[in-house]
Amino acid sequence: MNEQSKIAALNADSEPVAFNAALAEPFNVLIVGVGGQGVIMVSKVLAALAQAHGFEVKQSEVHGMAKRGGAVFSHVRFGQRVWSPTIAKGEADVLIALEWAEGLRWLPHLKRDTGVFICDTKRIVPPFACLNRKLGAKMRYSTETAEQVSAYVSEAYAIDATRMAEELGNDRAANVVLLGALSTVLEFSLPEWEKTVTSFVPKKTIAVNTAAFELGRNWIVEAKTATPADDAAAKAAPVHAHYSARLEITDAWCKSCEICVKLCPERCLTLNADRIATMTAPEKCTGCRLCEWLCPDFAIRVHLDTEAAVMEAAR
Amino acid sequence: MFRDAPHFDVRDYLRKEMMPHFLCPGCGHGMALRALLWALHELKIDRDKLAVVSGIGCAGRLSAYIDANTFHTTHGRPLAYATGLALARPDLHVVVITGDGDCLAIGGNHLIHACRRNLKLTCLMLNNEIYGMTGGQVSPTTSETRLTTTTPHGNTEPNFDACALATAAGAGFVGREVTRHVPKMKELIKDGLQHPGFAFIEVLSDCTEVYGRKNDMGSSSEMVLRQKSEMRPSAYRDSVDEPFRSTDLPTGILARNHRPEYGAALRAAAAARAAK
Repeated sequence: MNEQSKIAALNADSEPVAFNAALAEPFNVLIVGVGGQGVIMVSKVLAALAQAHGFEVKQSEVHGMAKRGGAVFSHVRFGQRVWSPTIAKGEADVLIALEWAEGLRWLPHLKRDTGVFICDTKRIVPPFACLNRKLGAKMRYSTETAEQVSAYVSEAYAIDATRMAEELGNDRAANVVLLGALSTVLEFSLPEWEKTVTSFVPKKTIAVNTAAFELGRNWIVEAKTATPADDAAAKAAPVHAHYSARLEITDAWCKSCEICVKLCPERCLTLNADRIATMTAPEKCTGCRLCEWLCPDFAIRVHLDTEAAVMEAAR
Repeated sequence: MFRDAPHFDVRDYLRKEMMPHFLCPGCGHGMALRALLWALHELKIDRDKLAVVSGIGCAGRLSAYIDANTFHTTHGRPLAYATGLALARPDLHVVVITGDGDCLAIGGNHLIHACRRNLKLTCLMLNNEIYGMTGGQVSPTTSETRLTTTTPHGNTEPNFDACALATAAGAGFVGREVTRHVPKMKELIKDGLQHPGFAFIEVLSDCTEVYGRKNDMGSSSEMVLRQKSEMRPSAYRDSVDEPFRSTDLPTGILARNHRPEYGAALRAAAAARAAK
């Protein structure tokens, strides 16, 4: 089924549109994220849905140079008449971000007084934001908390969509969790949403994507009805875990082959007087696990403890 | 990256009373065993539903260290035993661990017929180019000019490309990896375990004490580092560029086809006969 016929099939039995008349001015949705997350898929679903409703739709995207890991954005505009395919600064009605820093980057495009900001708290840290290889080292990644952002935006939701999708068994369904969240903002009917979503996802993943959609939709409904205290908890800052590495070496199993000593990228290990591998520079260890993987005698085990766990152990 | 890693502890899958294992310092077989256990862990294969069959040799000994149903069989015959086991118990995941001498010399016949039948099995061949356990005799995969106890002036026989052999014999899944890349090896073994047919995986391992010492290849860490310069990664498999020597072996998934699986075909034929 190609996309044209998908849209035609949806057209055949769609209900008359309730907010058709209200959209004399185009409705602007900006979808941003990182290559490979499914930004284009979200915009396709939205465009097909709006088109099936009889709206004029214009969509514009940048994805070619991004590949996996680069910035991707997609403008979707729909209404009775749409002239330009791109959304100007301060004109987006809804901003959906599949990645935290990408969401912040595009915030100026959102309408200051009425815009809705829906953002996954997923953090994809680009390599050039890492200043050194030490565990827990500072990096050039946004430090804004969700609370600070919500003070700037009229309506903001920081939703941990990737974790929700992971719990469903497929982290790639995170974009559909966000579609579920988006469905509470737009006045398309629920069956239409589900029909469009299922027509765009691979057949094998329809069940998980339907569940993801429900999850995202319910999350927003709950966030809207929550008391302010709960609300603050829901909008908590994305926690960046600081890890520290700790090596557990089983001396009795070590056969002094020196592979760990010679292959450690940070040169943290040496053989002691008994020719047993020993950690001599724990502060340099980045927890890369190379020693654990390459130890043919299973004598090394790398533990990556979060800062919280370290504090707990010290107590 | 870090979030999913901590859950795998190889020691959960080992018979700790057998440790430390008998392999020499720096032997690559330990890394291959880790990759296999890691793959089994990630696929959440129940240990009661896992049967590891192995033959004789350094690689054959590995089954003894796995805390699962293990079967240490006669020299060259693990594939024959495993064929019987997989046919009688199609509910089991049968994994064969074998070495280059075990699989290609004494068991060469069993290998080609196992490939031809395409029974659902995973055969992990650890290739260290030598008979390490018996004192370093030449094996079918020993490279030309290499020194062993039986080729004191250098090997003059051409060696086998085990993956090409398995592909030609009709194996459903054929792959090769080096011990240096443990996570890649794990991914390859995972793909092999999920393949609905005969999966042949060759792991290029280091024999540091015998092969390395006889051929003056340096310490075990130097041998691990050497793997990087001598292997051609799968991304460059079709490359004819100069940086790779003509003797380099390609790694990664080398063949994948979906021929009918032997066990299912045999059961269907038996059911059809019973229905008559």
